[in-house]
Amino acid sequence: MQSKTKPILEKKRTGKQRIKIPRQPMPEQDPRRRRANFEEVPKGYSEEVAILEASRCIQCKKPGCVEGCPVNIQIPEFIREIAAGKFLDAQNTLKKYTALPAVCGRVCPQEIQCESRCILGKKGEPVAIGRLERFAADYARKHNNIQKQPSCSHTGKRIAVVGAGPAGITVAGELSNRGHEVVMYEALHLAGGVLMYGIPQFRLPKEIVQYEINMLKNQGVSIHTDYVIGKSETVDQLMKQGFDAVFIGTGAGLPSFLGIEGENAIGVFSANEFLTRANLMRAVEFPRFATSPVIPHRAVTVGGGNVAMDAARTALRLGADSTIIYRRSREEMPARDEEIHHASEEGIVFHLLTNPIRIVTNERHQVTGVECLRMELGEPDTSGRRRPVPVQGSEFTIPADTVIIAIGNKPNPLIPQTTPDIQTSKWGTILTDETTMLTSKPGVFAAGDIVSGAATVISAMGQAKIAANAIHKFLIGETMGM
Amino acid sequence: MSTIKLSIDGQEVEVEQGATVFQAAREAGISIPTICDHKDLSPYGACRMCVVEIEGVRGFPTSCTTPATQGMQVSTRTKRLTDLRNCTLELLFSGHPNSCFACPHREPCETHRPQATKAGRSTRCGFCANREECDLREMVLTSERQELKLPVMYSAYKLERDDPFMDRDYNLCVLCGRCWRICEKIHGEPAISIINRGKWSKISTAFDKSHLESGCNFCGACIDICPTGTLMDRYARWQGKPEHESVSACILCPNGCSVKAENKGGKLLAYTMPGFEAEDRLCALGRFGAAQIVNSTKRLTRPLVREDGDQIPMSWDDALQSVGKGLIARRGTVVVVISATTTREERFIYDRLATALQGHLIVLPFEADCETPKIKELSDSVQQGKVQALITNGPLVSPQILKNVEFSLVIDCLESMASQLATIVLPSAILSEVDGTFKTSSGKIRTLSKSSILPGGARPEWMIICLIAKVLGLNGFDFDRAETITSLIQDDPAPEKFEREPRNNCRDIPIRFRGHLVADFVPGLKAFELPTTLVDEAEDEICNGFALLEKKEIAPNMHLLIIEAPQVARFALPGQFVILMAKETSERSPFTLADWDANAGTISLIIEEVGRSSRELTSLTAGDQLAHVSGPLGLPLSIQEKGTIFLGGGCYGIGAIFPLARILHEAGNRVICMIEAASSHLLYWQQELAEVCDELLIATKDGSGGMHGGIQEGVSSVTEKEHINQCIIIGCTFMMQQVSDLTKTFDIPTLVALNPIMVDGTGMCGACRVSIANQTQFACVDGPFFDGHKVDWEELTLRRNAYAPQEIQALPQGIHLTSCLPTSTLKMGD
Repeated sequence: MQSKTKPILEKKRTGKQRIKIPRQPMPEQDPRRRRANFEEVPKGYSEEVAILEASRCIQCKKPGCVEGCPVNIQIPEFIREIAAGKFLDAQNTLKKYTALPAVCGRVCPQEIQCESRCILGKKGEPVAIGRLERFAADYARKHNNIQKQPSCSHTGKRIAVVGAGPAGITVAGELSNRGHEVVMYEALHLAGGVLMYGIPQFRLPKEIVQYEINMLKNQGVSIHTDYVIGKSETVDQLMKQGFDAVFIGTGAGLPSFLGIEGENAIGVFSANEFLTRANLMRAVEFPRFATSPVIPHRAVTVGGGNVAMDAARTALRLGADSTIIYRRSREEMPARDEEIHHASEEGIVFHLLTNPIRIVTNERHQVTGVECLRMELGEPDTSGRRRPVPVQGSEFTIPADTVIIAIGNKPNPLIPQTTPDIQTSKWGTILTDETTMLTSKPGVFAAGDIVSGAATVISAMGQAKIAANAIHKFLIGETMGM
Repeated sequence: MSTIKLSIDGQEVEVEQGATVFQAAREAGISIPTICDHKDLSPYGACRMCVVEIEGVRGFPTSCTTPATQGMQVSTRTKRLTDLRNCTLELLFSGHPNSCFACPHREPCETHRPQATKAGRSTRCGFCANREECDLREMVLTSERQELKLPVMYSAYKLERDDPFMDRDYNLCVLCGRCWRICEKIHGEPAISIINRGKWSKISTAFDKSHLESGCNFCGACIDICPTGTLMDRYARWQGKPEHESVSACILCPNGCSVKAENKGGKLLAYTMPGFEAEDRLCALGRFGAAQIVNSTKRLTRPLVREDGDQIPMSWDDALQSVGKGLIARRGTVVVVISATTTREERFIYDRLATALQGHLIVLPFEADCETPKIKELSDSVQQGKVQALITNGPLVSPQILKNVEFSLVIDCLESMASQLATIVLPSAILSEVDGTFKTSSGKIRTLSKSSILPGGARPEWMIICLIAKVLGLNGFDFDRAETITSLIQDDPAPEKFEREPRNNCRDIPIRFRGHLVADFVPGLKAFELPTTLVDEAEDEICNGFALLEKKEIAPNMHLLIIEAPQVARFALPGQFVILMAKETSERSPFTLADWDANAGTISLIIEEVGRSSRELTSLTAGDQLAHVSGPLGLPLSIQEKGTIFLGGGCYGIGAIFPLARILHEAGNRVICMIEAASSHLLYWQQELAEVCDELLIATKDGSGGMHGGIQEGVSSVTEKEHINQCIIIGCTFMMQQVSDLTKTFDIPTLVALNPIMVDGTGMCGACRVSIANQTQFACVDGPFFDGHKVDWEELTLRRNAYAPQEIQALPQGIHLTSCLPTSTLKMGD
């Protein structure tokens, strides 16, 4: 099926002509405007611009981008379809490799994955693969024309997926497509995991996530929300109930704190709490939504990752003067360049080489500031990044009424605690075979942050894809008696 | 008029003939206690607190109904009078929840709870929004004898929340009659009166109809004159006592009524009547709507300037520069359109600006819409290009005009279609934020005085115009206060009369204010069928919910909910909790499991109405669906044989200790259960608990049942008789802290079930962190049980109150037709 809009034919271009087309910029909301709203920052390509950008792809014979993609999307193929104006075909191609193209197109760090391998990037700028992926997915969603994957005949096999985050959704989509019966369990009241509670609306509209979840349901996946595996059934009980395999994608949901004085003061939040209130509980729409919003005036976010950027940018939109403190320098910041760029464009102040040592409070136990030490970089540590060393006597205080701790999350302990025969590392992550994502317990697979610690959405999806393939083989009896 | 002389308590008093003894005493500065008397009401003699002794007169006449006569010898403070008044006060109080006065823990409890708990039913002072303003409470606290011996006869009347603006709880009413008397004084025919006889006497409308159908005009006088917390303004109810009152005027319609602006912390709580005379009366919009408009979440708070299609928030300086550029280029083609409900100063200054720009000013009649001839005319001028720039102070012109003019400046306080279409938006002050004068349609000049803090970057309109003039380099706009403009105004016309009289009929409330539909900002006005663009929130409909099988109010304000939730029931263990959401828009709120049935797949919860979430839950009726039930959560209590275990429960904790008692008893322990409540009629589940424990003890704060006091007193008395191996306490933070402090001195190991604010309840957010022996723990996954001797109680208490203002703001303002009908078993105190 083709769209009702007029097909825009690809202009015949030679390779040289293609290379001459500049990388098409993404139209974005003006930073002065967006700092006051929760609307999505990039507006997305128009059809014309998408075709033009897609025309830049020279369709390499050995495409590096595909190797750079954790889920190995056949990138040249979907780009060729966009260039030809066959937008729905492009979406169908994407769907073969990823359950969530609209999400990946937005939140993947393409600059270190597919786009970093694009041949055009060697001399100029790479093809905007992420933006094109987003375009195709948004186009299909807007035209409400996402084709159901041709469903295979039912295999009669049942799999339980614990946790409806990016990993769980990927596994559920993959296995349901291959004819297995998938039952998902989600502890929170909405499926989506970090896509719902963590990533803010201005970066990933929640309607998109729920649309994808509904697609999954239409595909026949049943999703039990409000269902806490480990508190209700354990993994063992699920197996006894007749599930042929169990997939664990429970993520890294246990927030780390700094362990410094005053950290339990009123006004100190984990990034998880701060973002969950704003995103999942929709406190930004208070009082229609009942969850109390945080109303920051001077917000200090501690950390240098994507979550820290999300938290600081959310605080800004809630009306605060928003500051980020990070103990290393800009080079070591784990956040995506685009996020750091967006944050500083919006007016977020960065205090680099700065480490919090105490939360200053008043007599009512409310935050009034963060006492910090300046740092300088010393020798590289085990992570290869230069270790920050405190500068003696450099204490200073940043005034704040809100402090957001975004220094990472630990794996959710519930499943390992209630499933004794699943082996974990000393960090609490589940140990798996990296080619199959099989855990130490037969028939139980795991992927995502519960295996790798806090990482990215796409790396979780990549692992989940490996797991899905292995589970499929396991279910149809090709491998692993184990 | 002639005067008479009399003696009161030996003091010579001279009053006008016709004055009562009470009035004579008041004039002489002698205070006689009273409830029913009010200086603006005629004497009634209902409460009998103002009794006096008069030489030569038999018995104890009420001073409020006895005319003073020449030479009268009056005593107001004899021993016999004090005794009699104390008896009267006790009788009055037997119909009014009073347990707090008899409670041995009142003072520390009130220190612990600086604000009253936002309860549905006010079952005691600590749960009453009127605590700081209650005449009854004041009278007890200042009386010589504070001890009350008579138990409360709780009437168990239903809560009345069936109109848009009032919360009424007649369980607090002492029948002083002030409400119906002021209603009669102001409106002639009162909408309310006393119905029934004897104990069941009650204030009500005719035939007990809703106030909406009773002829009530919602002037709010009854609320303002009520000495108790019986009648409350729903919006202002929990916001506390006003700190600042000032006389001003309401300019929501050309009537320009004189009002008293009540503020707290710079926030308008309400416009109330400046006095209790008929001419002081207000309409429902002024009385109840003004504060909702001023405090609306839809206020404009920062300048917006359109660039490349988008409105960009900007600083005032940048925005004014853009205004300057836009206007200077279009001099001679500028039209200023303002509403008739604009202050005189602002109208004057708008006019001066229009003249200076060689344009003209259009003052639209009040309530005018886009169909007004003046607007149609303007539309033509815009079409012809004669008008290129428009300045307006509300959505007063059609969207078409705004789209067609080259430049539009909207100076307004509230969001609207006009502010969305404008080239530039400047946020302005409104109502209680404004200084100035207003000419009413009858030609009177009223003064507005600023009493509230302006939100964000909003500024008064006259100031905005002066700033614009400065940018444009215009002369004659050098004003630094509204007052300096006032003297320049000459012969300004009065606004056209508003044909309807909303003070006499609430269905005549103006539909619009400066072009805005008032019901968009005061949703309660929908009850009067006022048009609104707000969509009904039916979108909250629940599709895959959890069925509520049974719902009972088992004690006042305490509700039992039985819910179908098999995934919880099958796996629940004693001490665990669930997270509930009544609707998709609700909070995730934790509640301890009171019981469960794995076979039936049901769970039982005891929920006390103390805020929005619990109200949403307790407002459901059997057959309804809850949006979400998640659990079981938290670590269960570890069950061991320990010997004698003392289980203490208060409020919802009475239900929460039930499953613990059962399993600890089954495990071979000697289980002593002790439950506490403010008064005996607030207890529940005595029978159920007695069946699962070895001994059930009861304590009430007013001594109306069991031991006088609370769990604290119970622990002390038990330790005198036997050794306690373990205490487990569930209830409010105050009680758990008090008991823990006590058991520490006895060296009894004590577990408490902590109840901090939670968001997810699964360990993901850390909102519920508590300090246990200086270590941070998450109550949701490491708790809820902790060693009571190691808890940092002060931190917990402060953290629990961290969102107090938001919790008040979150309370529903809508009409509630299914509010908590008491069960037939609820006939208390007989």
